[in-house]
Amino acid sequence: MDSFESLSLVSPWLVLAGGILATMMISVVRVSTKRPAQVFAILTLFLTLLCCLKNMPEGTQVLFNGAMEVSPLTTLALALLSVLGILFGFGSSRYLTKEKIHFSDYYHLLLILILGASILMCAKDLVVMFIALEVMSLPAYTLAGFRRNDARSNEAAIKYYITGGTLGAVFLLGASFVFGATGSTHLADIFLWSQGTTANFGLFYVGHVLLLIAFLFKVAAVPFHFWKPDVYEGAPTAVTGVMATVVTMAGFVVLARLLGMIDSARIEWVPYFESLKQLIRLVAVLSLVVGSAVVVTQKNLKRMLAYSSISHSGYLLLGLLAAMTKPELIYSVWIYLFGYSLMTCGLFLLISQSEPREDAGTELVDLTGLFKRSPFRTLLWTIFLLSMAGMPLTIGFFTKYFVFLSSLDAGEGIFAVVAAVCAVVGAYAYLRPIALMVMRDADPTAASFKTSFTGQLAVVISALGVVGWGIMPNLVIQILKGIALQH
Amino acid sequence: MVNYNLLSALLSLPVVGIFLSWIMPKTSQRIYAIFGSLVILAVSIYIALQAGDTPWDVKLVWLPELGLSLNLKWDSVSRWFVILNSLVAVLAFSLRGPWYRKNSRLFTALGFFLMFALNAAFLSNDVILFYLAYEAVFIPMIFMVGIWGSNAKATSVFRFFLMSFFGSVLMLVSMFALIYLFKEQSGQYSSSLPDLIQAASVKNGQALHWCFLGFFLAFAIKVPVFPFHGWLKEVYVNAPMPATLWMSAILSKLGVFGFLRFVLPIFPGLALENQGWILALSAVSILYAAFLAIRANSPKELLAYSSISHLGFVMLGVFSLSSGGASSAILLSIGHTLVSAMLFYGLHLVEERKDVSDLSVSHGLARVYPVLFTFMFIAVLGAVALPGTMNFVGEFLSLLHAFSASVPSVVVGALGVVLGAVYMLKFYQQLGFGEASGDQTVKDLGVYDIAVLSVLVLILIYFGFQPMLLLKGNG
Repeated sequence: MDSFESLSLVSPWLVLAGGILATMMISVVRVSTKRPAQVFAILTLFLTLLCCLKNMPEGTQVLFNGAMEVSPLTTLALALLSVLGILFGFGSSRYLTKEKIHFSDYYHLLLILILGASILMCAKDLVVMFIALEVMSLPAYTLAGFRRNDARSNEAAIKYYITGGTLGAVFLLGASFVFGATGSTHLADIFLWSQGTTANFGLFYVGHVLLLIAFLFKVAAVPFHFWKPDVYEGAPTAVTGVMATVVTMAGFVVLARLLGMIDSARIEWVPYFESLKQLIRLVAVLSLVVGSAVVVTQKNLKRMLAYSSISHSGYLLLGLLAAMTKPELIYSVWIYLFGYSLMTCGLFLLISQSEPREDAGTELVDLTGLFKRSPFRTLLWTIFLLSMAGMPLTIGFFTKYFVFLSSLDAGEGIFAVVAAVCAVVGAYAYLRPIALMVMRDADPTAASFKTSFTGQLAVVISALGVVGWGIMPNLVIQILKGIALQH
Repeated sequence: MVNYNLLSALLSLPVVGIFLSWIMPKTSQRIYAIFGSLVILAVSIYIALQAGDTPWDVKLVWLPELGLSLNLKWDSVSRWFVILNSLVAVLAFSLRGPWYRKNSRLFTALGFFLMFALNAAFLSNDVILFYLAYEAVFIPMIFMVGIWGSNAKATSVFRFFLMSFFGSVLMLVSMFALIYLFKEQSGQYSSSLPDLIQAASVKNGQALHWCFLGFFLAFAIKVPVFPFHGWLKEVYVNAPMPATLWMSAILSKLGVFGFLRFVLPIFPGLALENQGWILALSAVSILYAAFLAIRANSPKELLAYSSISHLGFVMLGVFSLSSGGASSAILLSIGHTLVSAMLFYGLHLVEERKDVSDLSVSHGLARVYPVLFTFMFIAVLGAVALPGTMNFVGEFLSLLHAFSASVPSVVVGALGVVLGAVYMLKFYQQLGFGEASGDQTVKDLGVYDIAVLSVLVLILIYFGFQPMLLLKGNG
């Protein structure tokens, strides 16, 4: 492939990188104003989105001597990340003002985070993967501690940093083991190696599992989840939303890639692959059960969503598990990720716009009687919460639908039943806030929520996405299924 | 194509109704809602006349690679439920109350949404489409109970939602298993009912058994059959009257419809295998609910339990597994819909006039409101299945058909007929007879209520003498 063509393929990434520099310059030139940084960041994301749609690659293209690959999936994922970034960019300005967070710092760190996540999804080399992981994580640590005067925000940043640093070390250890066993850090070379031999099997096994654990940490699957609730609660809400969507998405794309690292069709790898499946099964069921059970007991909305995202990780792992048996079933994971990101984005924007007090996050009781005060906002809350619970006419139904279907298709029917029971438990948790909003009288002392027009608009757009996709799921699913078949 | 347009009108008209309710003035929502539901009722009756006894089966592709389509079927099973859905909506919209004073637009919108979801459920010939509609029914119900309900509404809604959702999620997994079974056999996804029936007919084994249980549990909770009735009383008592009317008159029929449309055709062999204990459960629920109704101390609670008891007879008819049993179950369902709608409608009219929540004292209202209590008396007679009403024919035929399958169940069930007379007459006695107390300033029934109730009485008695008109073309 000539270099010009490869340039056009990576153009969205280049545009994003350029935008980061520009946003950074803005913060140097005019520190006191807010708007230019926001405008620049959103403009950058718009351009990135356009570039993605314009330069959609046909099939998987390997770039930079196999260090990265660009496929319809990665480009589409970057497009979605840009859309999420735009929604967060529009939606959180009032929150940032309220929390006295520096605009230009926030926006350019947000862009770096998105860049890191999108490169992570393209990485075909363990070294590139590590660098991208750090590019994604360092802004996330910083953003988590952005409310400098708040003890919980500091706690969140330090906890996130320490767990993140540890998992970085675990990843490096795993990578070095894999390198020692296979003699390469290129995933393509490792794949070739697995077709030829099973020498150094023990070393590879340890290394591979360590790599997987590093990313199971990142997506907070049980038992690697303990950092998540504290970090979610302490971090500024707008940031939590970004972490919940962007980081989870990147984490699962990498997990899928790491699981496909060896040629599982070879007869000598079958027992090994079975043992990996056992690991994923265990983690998936634990995440589902712990996530859905604990989410019921939570009183703080952000903590509740932290546990909810743990149970969502469980569903996603079930999708991955199905894909380990039949690779084409990976589309259920992509569909879940896309739907989950959309509804989580809307929900976190709503929370960030609803926080009544500056120091504390939104408690469930703060929603009491919202229906009397603001029926429209209640409608928005209801849409997102019902989608989280997996009710029909929202995208949440179809995401679960495909995971259940693929589980059965892959012969993991019993896990579909477990997931179904967990969905009921989860549904109770998501119904509670709705009940509080609708059935109770408003607390007269409760603060009234004020939102900006653009903030409201961002939420409405994601709500329309959630409902529209729930009613007409065909379009996006066709695309994602096509991508899964190409892989 | 004409068929398709007509059937899809049953789905699109309620949606139009939802949007129009936000345009109509707040104060005339009741008139608008009654008029709107009458239009939909007229359309469904027109379809019934057009279609006659020929089933209509139309299909519109929705999600082709999953085999998901808007597959609508109008036949002898679905037609009565669709017509009753609109009729019940007219009645529920006719009730005056706080729901027309505060957030009245929301109430009518929720009502039309409920009509839409129920029509979609009753018309669907595709399991996933059915599931979507079946779940969508919860949404307006939760809000109706949540906003206009009383006392312990939150707990009752949670219990209602979670028990039903538990059943329906397991049903969803069973549906997936069937879809996957079809895919194994034919290589493509399809969720249309005929395909799944075909898939299940070839297959045999343990997995199918679990699927049967998944479906059975979902519908048994919905009907409900003992011991899955735990959600029912609380939510009936705490719901606002239109929601109670809807639940008792038509939502409970979703379960009956589910058995007739899905469970029996997909699992004929397994239904036969499990017939014994299901008939026994139905008989137990007739008797148990009748005892609970006798002990009940508020009229709404009594009617809630009587609903379970009557639906036990419907279940006997359904699981007699004969074509005659199915049509008698449908007949009795229609009768129960009319009677329970009349009873709840009448009860609301009584409650508008006097607080009757305590059944342990006599209220003596029959002397004060003779017209209202005449209608109530006819409804009570319908509920005790007096000859001459539809319910008599339905209960009699259900018991008759179940007799060949299980004699003990029928004997126990027939005891329920006697107990039914006990609690229904207690209901009427405590409300109607005895010394009147307090001041009665509100007048007896108005013209509109008399007209509505008279129409119901006429239908109830006319088909009581001419049941063949309804039984014709069934099964």
